[in-house]
Amino acid sequence: MLKKRLVPKLLIKHRQLGSVARPVLVTTRQFRDVREVGDPVSQAKIYEAQFADELIVLNIDGTPIANDIMMLDLIERLASSTFMPLAVGGGVRSVEDFSVLLGRGADKVTINQRALADPSMVEAAAARFGAQCVVVSIDYRTDEQGKHQVYVEHAATPTGVDPVSHARRMYECGAGEILLTNADRDGTGQGIDLAVLLEVTNAVPIPVIASGGCGLATHFSDAFLEGQAEGVAAGTFFCFRDQNPMQARAHIRTAGIDIRTEI
Amino acid sequence: MARPTVAIVDYQAGNIQSIANAFEHLGARVALASDSAAINGASHVVLPGVGAFGYCAARLRDSGLVPAIEQAVFEKRIPVLGICVGMQLLADVGEEMGRHAGLGWAGGTVRALAPSPPDVRVPHVGWNDVIFEQPFGDYDVGSAADFYFDHSFAFYAPSQAKIVGTCEHGSRFAAVIRRDNLVAAQFHPEKSQRAGLRFLSGFLGMATC
Repeated sequence: MLKKRLVPKLLIKHRQLGSVARPVLVTTRQFRDVREVGDPVSQAKIYEAQFADELIVLNIDGTPIANDIMMLDLIERLASSTFMPLAVGGGVRSVEDFSVLLGRGADKVTINQRALADPSMVEAAAARFGAQCVVVSIDYRTDEQGKHQVYVEHAATPTGVDPVSHARRMYECGAGEILLTNADRDGTGQGIDLAVLLEVTNAVPIPVIASGGCGLATHFSDAFLEGQAEGVAAGTFFCFRDQNPMQARAHIRTAGIDIRTEI
Repeated sequence: MARPTVAIVDYQAGNIQSIANAFEHLGARVALASDSAAINGASHVVLPGVGAFGYCAARLRDSGLVPAIEQAVFEKRIPVLGICVGMQLLADVGEEMGRHAGLGWAGGTVRALAPSPPDVRVPHVGWNDVIFEQPFGDYDVGSAADFYFDHSFAFYAPSQAKIVGTCEHGSRFAAVIRRDNLVAAQFHPEKSQRAGLRFLSGFLGMATC
């Protein structure tokens, strides 16, 4: 039986040292309050040793990733030092960018803003690379009236688009997975937004990875059991707490959820 | 055993670097093969594949490498491994976005997995158990291990190859098939951590037959 996935999220920023940019792993809170954690490759190796199921690597500076020597070098180093699946995104502008990223060792590519602006890019990418390669990332916030809307530009700019209908549209265009992030809950540890997650998982037959708000191991099992997520992605939870994928996995298994055990 | 030389067929439709990394980790010499000479000089050949079936099939044909791979499989009879779409291309026909001719070396048709949400979503992405029905490497009959899958189409009944391992996602499909020295896996052994490296070791241990 297909196992539910625990997916550490590696948020990457550029730190300029003289003329050279170095990748630095960070965490954020509500997509702001950037905190530096350390070296992404070392952290990825730790996650692999802790049996993470997959990694998501996001260039949160949003620089055009296919021309970003630092990001491309980082992907290459991650792919050569771990033997686990890598989804890469942040600053993906074209279908050609998919080729560049896959050539460096990415297995899947996540697109966010460009998918909203130009859904035909999702279609073209799926036709060439297969749906399984195309992950559409959706960031959303909830306003005071309780209305949800998709945000872009690192969740700074509202679009007026409803996340559930956007997810449905992306599926219809050929997306293979949805990475759904509640930007208000990012880094807060208050739990996954189960209501919107369930609306999205009911609206599409493709896998949905839930993200934003994991602070307890029960937040993962809630997302699997109540939200029908196929995977849960977390940055802060795995980076800072005295928690790791192995411990979260033990809790999830105890909750009766099928998750990878024997490695 | 002499140090194996693994030629990874480079036809611009595969995650060749990840596969190269895994074989290098296992101590093999790796050649990225974009011409026939590199395939001819190898002890093992890998046919990768990431992409839509029709796209990959067209790229492979245009690469001009099919005769060299065919020679490796049927004349030199050295171990050849297809991975993911590299497995699916061994079918007669692939039904992804139209009907496309495959190489036909394993026979049969590659069909879409049927989604049945909430439990069965397609693409089939993530770790799922493969049950070995034939021994492979040090995987015995009846043993099971989790491998990483990422696909929407699957091989159900290869007409000219044996099913070595199966996996279930809505329906039971062929996860590993074999025809003598030709073996193929639907999952990504190069992304399957320890289980995947063990599987690739089994491939390196195959003899020319």
